[in-house]
Amino acid sequence: MASESPVPVTVLTGFLGSGKTTLLNRILSEQHGKRIVVIENEFGEVGVDHQLVIGAEEEIFETANGCICCTVRGDLIRILGQLVKRKDRFDYVIVETTGLADPGPVAQTFFIDDDLKEHFQLDAIVTLVDAKHAEQHLEDVRAANEQIAFGDVVLLNKTDLVSPADLARVEQRIRSINRTAKIFRTQSAQLPIDKVLNVGAFDLERALAVDRTFLEPEYPFEWGGVFELPAGAVRIRTGSEEHDHDHHAHHGHAHHHGQDHNHAHDPDHEHAGHEHGPGLGITFLRVSESSEGVLDAQVEHVLRAFAETPIDVPCGGTLEPGAHLYRLDVGHGGAQFTLDVKEPGTYAVFCEHLPQELSLRFEGLTPSAERQYASHHHHDDEITSIGIADPRPLDPKKLDDWLGYLLQSRGQDIFRMKGVLNIQGEERRYVFHGVHMMFDSKLERPWGATPRQNSLVFIGRKLDRKEIEAGFESCVAA
Amino acid sequence: MTAVLTERANVALDTYVVDIAWSADSRALAVAGGEGAVVLVENVVDKPQAKTLGEHAMGAIAVAWQPGANIVASSGQDSAVALWDTAQAAEIKRLRPGMGWTERIAWSPDGKLLAAAAGKVLSLWSSAGELAHKFEPHAATIAALAWDKPGRDLAAGIQGGIAVYRIEPPQFSVRRYTWPAACLTAAFSPNGKFLASGTQDGTVHFWNLVTGKDSQMRGYATKVLMTEWSASSRYLATAAGNDVVLWDFGGKGPEGTHPLELRGHTERITALAFQPNGAHLVSAGRDWRISLWQPGKETMAVDAHLSGGEISAIRWSPDGKQLAVGESKGRLTLYDFVERAAPPKKR
Repeated sequence: MASESPVPVTVLTGFLGSGKTTLLNRILSEQHGKRIVVIENEFGEVGVDHQLVIGAEEEIFETANGCICCTVRGDLIRILGQLVKRKDRFDYVIVETTGLADPGPVAQTFFIDDDLKEHFQLDAIVTLVDAKHAEQHLEDVRAANEQIAFGDVVLLNKTDLVSPADLARVEQRIRSINRTAKIFRTQSAQLPIDKVLNVGAFDLERALAVDRTFLEPEYPFEWGGVFELPAGAVRIRTGSEEHDHDHHAHHGHAHHHGQDHNHAHDPDHEHAGHEHGPGLGITFLRVSESSEGVLDAQVEHVLRAFAETPIDVPCGGTLEPGAHLYRLDVGHGGAQFTLDVKEPGTYAVFCEHLPQELSLRFEGLTPSAERQYASHHHHDDEITSIGIADPRPLDPKKLDDWLGYLLQSRGQDIFRMKGVLNIQGEERRYVFHGVHMMFDSKLERPWGATPRQNSLVFIGRKLDRKEIEAGFESCVAA
Repeated sequence: MTAVLTERANVALDTYVVDIAWSADSRALAVAGGEGAVVLVENVVDKPQAKTLGEHAMGAIAVAWQPGANIVASSGQDSAVALWDTAQAAEIKRLRPGMGWTERIAWSPDGKLLAAAAGKVLSLWSSAGELAHKFEPHAATIAALAWDKPGRDLAAGIQGGIAVYRIEPPQFSVRRYTWPAACLTAAFSPNGKFLASGTQDGTVHFWNLVTGKDSQMRGYATKVLMTEWSASSRYLATAAGNDVVLWDFGGKGPEGTHPLELRGHTERITALAFQPNGAHLVSAGRDWRISLWQPGKETMAVDAHLSGGEISAIRWSPDGKQLAVGESKGRLTLYDFVERAAPPKKR
């Protein structure tokens, strides 16, 4: 029989020192009128009016069949089970995990345990990342990667402690693991509370707003910008501002990877990742107007250009605008090049890396429009996101077979999956989400006038894009 | 003979009824309230009288009446165990068995020892509130506590199995019955032959204490929180869904057999209790229904009632002649168990 609506639960995860406690204290002390229960991973009270803080030790319930997908948090089941017996109801639950925890069992607890499902609804997994130490953590610790993979919201925190170039690189790295998370750059975890509470990331009713930009194909370039180029020589510089005239003597921190990853224990470890290679790929195309849209219109041309053999430009060299792919030898410090503009006008510039990463700048010029693109260069971390966007209607039976097979065979490696699907003969959207093998789906509001479209995202370890795309293809209705 | 439950009286307690304990003579009950109150209810025939004994800050979790005496033990989220003198309606003593919530308490059948489980720590206390023994902490939180009928063995269910302590002070030897899952209940059969446990991963596991052999009963949709033996040790009633699943330990035992399924609830069963000294079973569910069953005789409920709200606890009186039903909204209803001669069958 009907009871009260479920209490939302936010899971707060992140490494020690990433700012979880800071965020928690901010949430608790802010005047939001909510009665919040916090389940912390350590004993010790956070004394805040009207809020309840319960210290708990993470207790993992494993199963006889050894399946990690069935692993749940026993302590949460007990504590939350007792809390629902109190009449002075609370409005919100925040569960803080330990720094090294894999968020999987917490999330699964709210899928598996019937008692909890009746009273609680997972709202979102919020992952805090220490911008300064993130790369080291991602390199060294499996759980750091998993925490980002599971996150619906990622707070890239302590941005004041790193340079813009480092920050851009870290954000790119996070994006390469999890393409659907909402990333916020913060200092002292400062951001509006509604960005982390009542997000509705697990609420199928809220239609799983899978943002289309996350579903794009991956590109061999990360950034595009539109410039008005005057006739004559335009100076292009990389590296640190102060010393870029003396690029041989200095190692600009932007390009020189700040953390020298220690691979000593792993001699075979090939750092195939985000090395910037021998140079920076860049191309210039003449365009008709200055807008973000004009960038997207050029993508086909740019893809073709990036498939060409690049023209190498040494430090100090000269290049001309045109649909060629250049490779600038940016070295490890600062470098400079001359862009010889014969025909002044509006140009789209596409770059292999984010300009911030190399402190790349076009002297005296700022782009009138710019945007970032999901990059195809993979890091050596093995967790990735795979997105599919396709308008063709799907056969429900085939879809069921494929998803069933995928969960059975790859469930352990898939951390999160979600999607909105166009089912043949069905007026409503079919929405689903999942954590490992736990899967939840329903038919949602009708498509109406919106174009019918399948949007799916899988985030997991060692996912095979070809396999997933082939599986999807097999579901397309004849 | 046909049995029915007849509603006799009820009392509004204004607190979530978390746990109920009867006095040995059935003349009173103690209730643990979700708000923290520990309430004494005088079982006056037509008008039960409720009186608050005291409280556990944040919430009471369990209540246990000392066999053959007038002391009530209660535990709560304040991590304490309180001992109450029900005759004087006064607190005798507050014990601190551990840092965490004390979630399980159980009197030995002779009433001499109170076992308390606070997180991973199991301890034994005298009825005067003196610490009798503290065991080495378990590797995981104790989810279940049970004495066997003679009071020689005390079982503690944890993630990974059940530890059974032989209580022969000053000796406390232990036997471990391992199973790699979270054991949420522990139940000795009254004849002492079996130890059963419901687990988080939807199975019932049991050990034959004579042969040491263990068996697993699968097929539950969700975790199994209820494992109740019949007084005869013939049946083990379990529930993890809308149906009561009944394993028959008669003959060669339940291995390889299909259980009896008692159907009638339309929502998940939340409480299950076998009648002491009798053959009847009561179940209550989220459908607000209370069903009375006679396992082995009938597969349909022999009687059913609709309560006024969600049922949170049910307890038979020690003599099996009364039933207390507690609701989440605080109502406590008392039923009499009545057996009548069956109406003569018409030929």
